[in-house]
Amino acid sequence: MFRYRIQYSKRGSACYISHLDLIRALERAFRRAGLPIAFSEGFNPHPRFSFAAPLPVGVEGLAEVLEVEMKEPVDHQVLAERLNGALPPGLVVLEVADVPDNAPSPMAVLTGAGYIVHLDEDDLPGPLPAEAVRHFLSQEKIQVTRKGKDDKEKVRDIRPGILKLNVLSQVNGLTIQLDLKTGSTMNVRPEEAVDAFFRYTGMSIDKADLQIIRSGLF
Amino acid sequence: MEKQLEKILRRVQKPGRYSGGEWNMVRKDWHSMCVKMAFAFPDVYEVGMSHLGLQILYGMVNDREDALLERVFAPWPDMEEQLRKTGLPLTSLESRRPLRDFDIIGFTLQYELSFTNILNMLDLAGIPLRSADRKGGNYPLVVAGGPCSFNPEPMADFIDVFVIGEGEDALNDLLDAYLASRRSSEGWEDLLLRLAGFDGIYVPVLYRVEYNDDRTIKALTSGSEGVPALVHKRVVTDMDAAFFPTRMVVPAIETVHDRAMLEVQRGCTRGCRFCQAGVIYRPVREKEPETLLRHAGELLGSTGWGEISLTSLSTSDYSRVSSLISELIKRHGPAGVNVSLPSLRVDAFSVDLAKEVQKVRRSSLTFAPEAGTQRLRDVINKGVTEDNLMDAVGAAFSAGWQSIKLYFMIGLPTETDDDIRGIANLARRVLDKGRMLVRVKGRLKVTVSVSSFVPKSHTAFQWEPQNSMAELKRKQLLLRDLLRSRGLVFKWHDTRSSFLEAVLSRGDRRLAGAIEAAWRNGARFDGWSEFFDLGKWLKAFESTGIDPEGYAYRRYQYDDVLPWDHIGAGVSKKYLVREHRRSLEGAITPDCRGGQCPGCGLCATLEVKPYLAGGETVVPIPDTIQ
Ligand code: SF4
Repeated sequence: MFRYRIQYSKRGSACYISHLDLIRALERAFRRAGLPIAFSEGFNPHPRFSFAAPLPVGVEGLAEVLEVEMKEPVDHQVLAERLNGALPPGLVVLEVADVPDNAPSPMAVLTGAGYIVHLDEDDLPGPLPAEAVRHFLSQEKIQVTRKGKDDKEKVRDIRPGILKLNVLSQVNGLTIQLDLKTGSTMNVRPEEAVDAFFRYTGMSIDKADLQIIRSGLF
Repeated sequence: MEKQLEKILRRVQKPGRYSGGEWNMVRKDWHSMCVKMAFAFPDVYEVGMSHLGLQILYGMVNDREDALLERVFAPWPDMEEQLRKTGLPLTSLESRRPLRDFDIIGFTLQYELSFTNILNMLDLAGIPLRSADRKGGNYPLVVAGGPCSFNPEPMADFIDVFVIGEGEDALNDLLDAYLASRRSSEGWEDLLLRLAGFDGIYVPVLYRVEYNDDRTIKALTSGSEGVPALVHKRVVTDMDAAFFPTRMVVPAIETVHDRAMLEVQRGCTRGCRFCQAGVIYRPVREKEPETLLRHAGELLGSTGWGEISLTSLSTSDYSRVSSLISELIKRHGPAGVNVSLPSLRVDAFSVDLAKEVQKVRRSSLTFAPEAGTQRLRDVINKGVTEDNLMDAVGAAFSAGWQSIKLYFMIGLPTETDDDIRGIANLARRVLDKGRMLVRVKGRLKVTVSVSSFVPKSHTAFQWEPQNSMAELKRKQLLLRDLLRSRGLVFKWHDTRSSFLEAVLSRGDRRLAGAIEAAWRNGARFDGWSEFFDLGKWLKAFESTGIDPEGYAYRRYQYDDVLPWDHIGAGVSKKYLVREHRRSLEGAITPDCRGGQCPGCGLCATLEVKPYLAGGETVVPIPDTIQ
């Protein structure tokens, strides 16, 4: 088998494709591109894809990561070009690299993700108090509640998961840059962090107003 | 507006339903198109995108240089709420234009229970519901086609123009006529008159209905010259030459049938007496295997779908089905493409076909004997015997299937409790057969799925009343008790929605007020059990003075004027009368595919012939029945 790491972006109307639908969309794109993708064995063969982290519906991704296995070796350039010719609008391959056979899955090495979150002027509840970010981050604990799978509310401390939070711009609203822990040990969602930040300043926002872009994975 | 729409999309369950951007989507330059049409599907995206007709018309119109066709689906209630809250109009997927900006809006009428969604979509588009309120010509022309337009009357007040019959035959004519009318700056009335001159185009406002005191219809007449008293359906005469979309739009989110569709033939000649599709898609027209293989290759290449289904009303009837399947598997199997068959006949041959195409033997096979006794199967002209069924299920169990679904109808004309007991007996025999043949008995399952008979226009049973809801319920309960047993699963349809379906499918123009009132009461997605609420409809009927039972339960006389008598499905009324009489005698009528024409009158009327790719075209005889 030949493993390739594909960095791609998912923007515009493609951000409304859910993770499961994305797998289907990619499988079809590989078929249209005539690329020799490898399939799993068994009754219901599925393509050998492995993702770093699923992107939530409605969030754009600038540099997402996917690893694929091929039955035959394919030139990086050829792979990128053929796939780009077959991907639905909004999905674009940026880079292709080899992956050694014994490399761990992209999910296993993932520790964090960077986000850019924008809130329109109309949706901004008020001006940010001075030093709000510094004070917010100086807290020892930042508690948020999240509904678990059993529908029970659970209180968690997300402070250790917020690696970076700063205001990028206050033009036409507010733009925040965030680095958050992502992966199996700790997983913080951008809307959670931003919501907690606004609550800390005494203001409340509607999470659905947040325009979220995942700028990268690390 | 674009930005506001994005904001809304973050607040609904499945934004992919409204975002567009699918592979093979066609986005044309808005301003350079002479005629802009929206194809409006009055159900949710996942249902609409599974519909072959949409893909055909989409490809066909967008292939024209002077026209564009964009899609719009019924917004799910969460989306409707957002649209109403923000005041945003309903927009198309392709260019996100408000529906009002289009020249023509074409609705497809696939099932009666989507009627309220049509009103809802017009309302969300800011378009007056009634044709009479749009006649200034400042609004798009509202067109409707599809099976339910064979009785268009309940929707006649809302729709400007109905297309009767096959859209790919009629739509180009309609667009051309529209353009010609525009070029000569005709007014609204002239446009309608011009359109009414075409075969298959019915303009309800040009017809007058008079009623008798007993609420039946006295006469339905066309007032003006050039407006035909009987509107003949449109039929594609050469299926191989007809447009077929090999660049289908590949949905972005999972849909009901998320696969390539290859229509192998149109029409079914088996002549089941309850079946409307069997009449309105007559005569049978098979496609040549070469055409199909070429289309399949192009289709798979352009879409990347990993499955291709051979669609038609009864695919195993296609005369070259076996060789087609093996050739498809030979050509596309190595690339991991599966072939599937959605509809199966009750016989061992069909099981062989299923064996051929289904790699996964775990899913269930469905058979439709429709009735529990031979007597009743003869009444409905089902043309299968218990032996056929036992052979078929035997073959299925032996081939490794552990789960069988049997599909029946209750409330059929002349049905007695013996026929109900017959269903249970048949199911038990199937289960016993399974016990003999299936090794892992634990997984053995026979599902009995029962729907209620709805009398449909243009069928031999169009004069028959529907069973009352109470009677249907009683039969369901009787059957439920008879089917209580390990390995048997019983499923039934809500009798209330079958009742409404009967009212709407046998209705006339007087229902318009009730449909509108039901919509105002909040009726939406009536075909979805999670939303269906008969209460809203009963209130609507009451407030508009409509007696729904009169529509569902009336037994028409042969000489009654039926609400759909001015719509010509090609099959003659004399033939239907004869078929109805024969049904009561339990006399079966053979399939005209076999070469014996029972004289339904269609071939002579429409000047088309049944066409079989195997070459055995039957010779139609003229309609000689008195
Ligand atoms: S006229 Fe005869 S051959 Fe033609 S569709 Fe009717 S029954 Fe079949």
